[in-house]
Amino acid sequence: MDKPQSRSENKTGIVSHILLLLSVFVIATCGLIYELIAGTLASYLLGDSITQFSTIIGTYLFAMGIGSWFSKYLDGNLLKWFIRIEILVGLVGGCSAPVLFAIFEHVESFRLILYAFVGMTGVLVGLEIPLLMRILKNNFEFKDLVSNIFTFDYIGGLLASLIFPLVLVPYLGLIRTSLFFGLMNIIVALLLLYKFKETRGYRRSFLFIISISIIIFLVAFAYAEKIMAYSESITFQDKVIYSKSTVYQRIVLTKNNRELRLFLNGNLQFSSADEYRYHEALIHPAMQALPHARNVMVLGGGDGLAVRELLKYPQLQSIKLIDLDPGMTSLFTHNQMLAQLNNHSLSSPKVKVFNTDAYNWVRNDTTRYDCIIIDFPDPGNYSVGKLYTNSFYKEIYRLLTDDGVVVVQSTSPYIGRRSFWCIDHTLASVGFLTMPYHAYVPSFGEWGYVMATKNHSWRNDGQLPAGLKYINAATIRDMMFFPPDMCEVNTDINRLNNQVLVHYFETDWGPYAH
Amino acid sequence: MHTEPTYNRRLFFKKILAGTGLLAAGAYTSCKPRNPLGHIKGSIIGANSQAGHLVRNIASLPAPSKQVNTDVLIIGGGISGLSAKRWFHKEGVTNVMLIEMDDHFGGNAHHGKNEVSAYPWGAHYIPVPDIRNTELLDFLKEINVITSYDAAGLPVYNEYHLCMDPEERLFINGLWQEGIVPEAGVPVAEKAQFKRFSALIDQFKTAVGSDGKDAFSIPLANSSADEVYRKLDKISFRQYLTEQGYNSIYLLWYLEYGCKDDFGCNLDNTSAWAGIHYFASRKGKGSNCNSSGVLTWPEGNGFLMENLRKLAGDGMASSQLAYQLREEGDKVIVSVYDVARKESYTISAGKVLMSSPQYVNKHLLSSLATPDRIKAVDDFHYAPWMIANITLHHLPPQRGFPLCWDNVIYGTQSVGYVDANHQDLKSSAKRVFTFYLPLVNNAPDVARRKAQATPYEHWLEIIAEEMEHSHPGITECMEHIDVWVWGHGMIAPQPGFIWGDNKKIVSRPINNKIFFAHTDLSGISIFEEAFYQGIRAAKEIVKTT
Repeated sequence: MDKPQSRSENKTGIVSHILLLLSVFVIATCGLIYELIAGTLASYLLGDSITQFSTIIGTYLFAMGIGSWFSKYLDGNLLKWFIRIEILVGLVGGCSAPVLFAIFEHVESFRLILYAFVGMTGVLVGLEIPLLMRILKNNFEFKDLVSNIFTFDYIGGLLASLIFPLVLVPYLGLIRTSLFFGLMNIIVALLLLYKFKETRGYRRSFLFIISISIIIFLVAFAYAEKIMAYSESITFQDKVIYSKSTVYQRIVLTKNNRELRLFLNGNLQFSSADEYRYHEALIHPAMQALPHARNVMVLGGGDGLAVRELLKYPQLQSIKLIDLDPGMTSLFTHNQMLAQLNNHSLSSPKVKVFNTDAYNWVRNDTTRYDCIIIDFPDPGNYSVGKLYTNSFYKEIYRLLTDDGVVVVQSTSPYIGRRSFWCIDHTLASVGFLTMPYHAYVPSFGEWGYVMATKNHSWRNDGQLPAGLKYINAATIRDMMFFPPDMCEVNTDINRLNNQVLVHYFETDWGPYAH
Repeated sequence: MHTEPTYNRRLFFKKILAGTGLLAAGAYTSCKPRNPLGHIKGSIIGANSQAGHLVRNIASLPAPSKQVNTDVLIIGGGISGLSAKRWFHKEGVTNVMLIEMDDHFGGNAHHGKNEVSAYPWGAHYIPVPDIRNTELLDFLKEINVITSYDAAGLPVYNEYHLCMDPEERLFINGLWQEGIVPEAGVPVAEKAQFKRFSALIDQFKTAVGSDGKDAFSIPLANSSADEVYRKLDKISFRQYLTEQGYNSIYLLWYLEYGCKDDFGCNLDNTSAWAGIHYFASRKGKGSNCNSSGVLTWPEGNGFLMENLRKLAGDGMASSQLAYQLREEGDKVIVSVYDVARKESYTISAGKVLMSSPQYVNKHLLSSLATPDRIKAVDDFHYAPWMIANITLHHLPPQRGFPLCWDNVIYGTQSVGYVDANHQDLKSSAKRVFTFYLPLVNNAPDVARRKAQATPYEHWLEIIAEEMEHSHPGITECMEHIDVWVWGHGMIAPQPGFIWGDNKKIVSRPINNKIFFAHTDLSGISIFEEAFYQGIRAAKEIVKTT
């Protein structure tokens, strides 16, 4: 077989040179794109973008170095090697985003696979330029060769870095971008195969691989949405900075310039912008009336924000926080940003955290509490619904001191009107005097609470802590007023053997579900 | 210049390929175990019929070496025996002994426990009782299942013991629906038959016979003797349904499900009276539940059984196999084999209450039974069952209504599974499912022999196939499966049995010394009947003393 070098010296030579240099351009663009995809994906899924970008770029460049070093061991038909590598880069780089997205939820060592992808792409991309220089070394003077190749290389880099944030991510999304550039690499391989006659001998086998790859890429391109949907991280409006699946739930934190949002199983729990309204309303109406309170129990509320408000009352000696999920309480104890939000409440010596099932805890507990804060997720399923039943409230009644106050977060009295009043009636059914109230929390809407006591001792004239942004005596008074569109409706009592609240909640919120 | 690739290059590419291959292989192996059932641990733990079978060959047992005396001896520590023992204890009748051949008490109310949950090995619930069943209500009050009575006199049930919502679901036409009456995909004409049947049952529920008694009652003995209803016992439930023009496949499935669930029988070998009784006898009331309310516990009726035991006083021993009864003057001499100590002794009792089933009694009474009794016992048939407790490390995603207490799968052999964790208020990903399979495909004795010869692996295949049908991917979530085969699971209320003469003959005491109490004398195997039988026989004994 003829040497490729001698062939490229004839008439078609110029076209071929241009083609090869053009491929430098494409290769450079693709290479940088893969790097950017990996960096973006890592900061989407793993959070902490500075670390992610920095380590990804480092790994990638190092891998390119390894590739360049290995290039000297490639001999023989260099063009064939080049095409082969082109196909491999296309496959590995092109598949990176879809594969990484798809496996994120399902593998333990996501980082390992991420860096394996970055490493492999880097090695392959690192092979390309040295190989190309050797292919072209007889056609150019060395200074021209270096100048041409690096010019195209850096222009490609600029193009990539501009179109990636401005065009590709907003319009194509990460998965399609990845697939698209994989396809570009494969097309370069196809063009080279087509333009260089010396490839005839192995065209057939390469064409086969190329056509299969193209088909796979096109199909994946068409189904990109499905792959995306597979990874729910994308369904959030803002950038996901943390996501973790614990045994009990999926915790996702998103962030934009203004606020931090926490989602549990896709449901918004708070926004840092207005959570003070929710938590001040949850705690202070009850606590201002309890100057002698010593013992408090918080059920749910693993974010420590309710505890932060409680700690504003120096008379409290002990706060027990019962939250099922250690993943949640540990996150809000140790994560710097989140611990700042709850003012390190979970690390206070007065606070004891117990990661256990609330129902079980309440059934077995014998302590008496002056205040019990019940901050469970909304009763959207039967296992949470149990924590809103008369049987549960009977246990709460037993644990409350005679002058104590219970507060229950009770979903929206506007949207979940029957659900809200069902909670009120269920509390009343076990002997509590109830005081329903509501507050406007912008990111939630109208939100409801029910305060419950054993006697008429509650008064709205206690001392409130300094520095509250929402609650004062007038706000408390206002919150007790229910306009006609939220006022009391008849409901059944929520029992373990009927779970009417879950049914109410489903019908109330049904029209608002996506 | 065309050289062969060098060693280094080959090595280099091999590494790249190996890397890619590793990724692919990793993904592949993580979802494809080699033997689909190989990861499941467990065994057949029940069905130890060996001790019981010793009574067939008493010549092999050692001769009695001592004698014990008692006023009353109860043979059999199932619900009937324990109920009788509790009643004696409560009434202040002392000097009563109870012996049980198994190494545990409870019979069909047997139960187990692992680190995930307690679970039943048999019966697992009772419907809220009829408020006229005062004996049973008193017991439930005594053990705090009834916490109080409301102003109207209705029992207030302990809400931790009432079956929690959601109670029942059915897998039908590809998804789970709420409730077990087929709805999803059922044609309108067939739904009309359901409506008609339900109206018929409502009639039967309130029907009263010419003697002023309820047509269908629990305990069954309180049912009316009116021939209008009793004649229904002479035909099969299928024949009755055909005569009444019921032919909806869905309805017939549903009714057969009821027969399998309560009697271990199909439509052909259940009497129409028994079939209707299943639906028409549930007329309980409670202050905080309706007539369809049921009481259940993670360990099933093991909860009731353990409470009966606690209230039954002392003088009870397990692993004691009675193998022969004979009369000696005014005493009954019972030969007993101590299975653990491997020695025999005799108990001399003034009265004996046999709360053991008739297929056992016929061996024990070989020297005392009259020919008509021996012949009558041939009419007693028992349905075999297989029950499995499946421990799952989590549940795969599923379509439709969420997990319930009772989960039934339309059109399959089993009567579904019960979530043992349902009454447990802890949230837990790990669960235990109790899977119930009545062996109705063959005549009881054939099915029994077949079941006893079936190896563990084959039971696993049956369970996995049924569970996969409604929960694709569940096999991989199964950690442990234990299997219990009940050779004589339940008395079968075949046509003519419940109100026939043979039951009466067998129920008769022998010489005012030997009395009988077992659900096979009621004709249906439920807790309430066993409880009733035990107390009835205990009262008879006291009356004749």
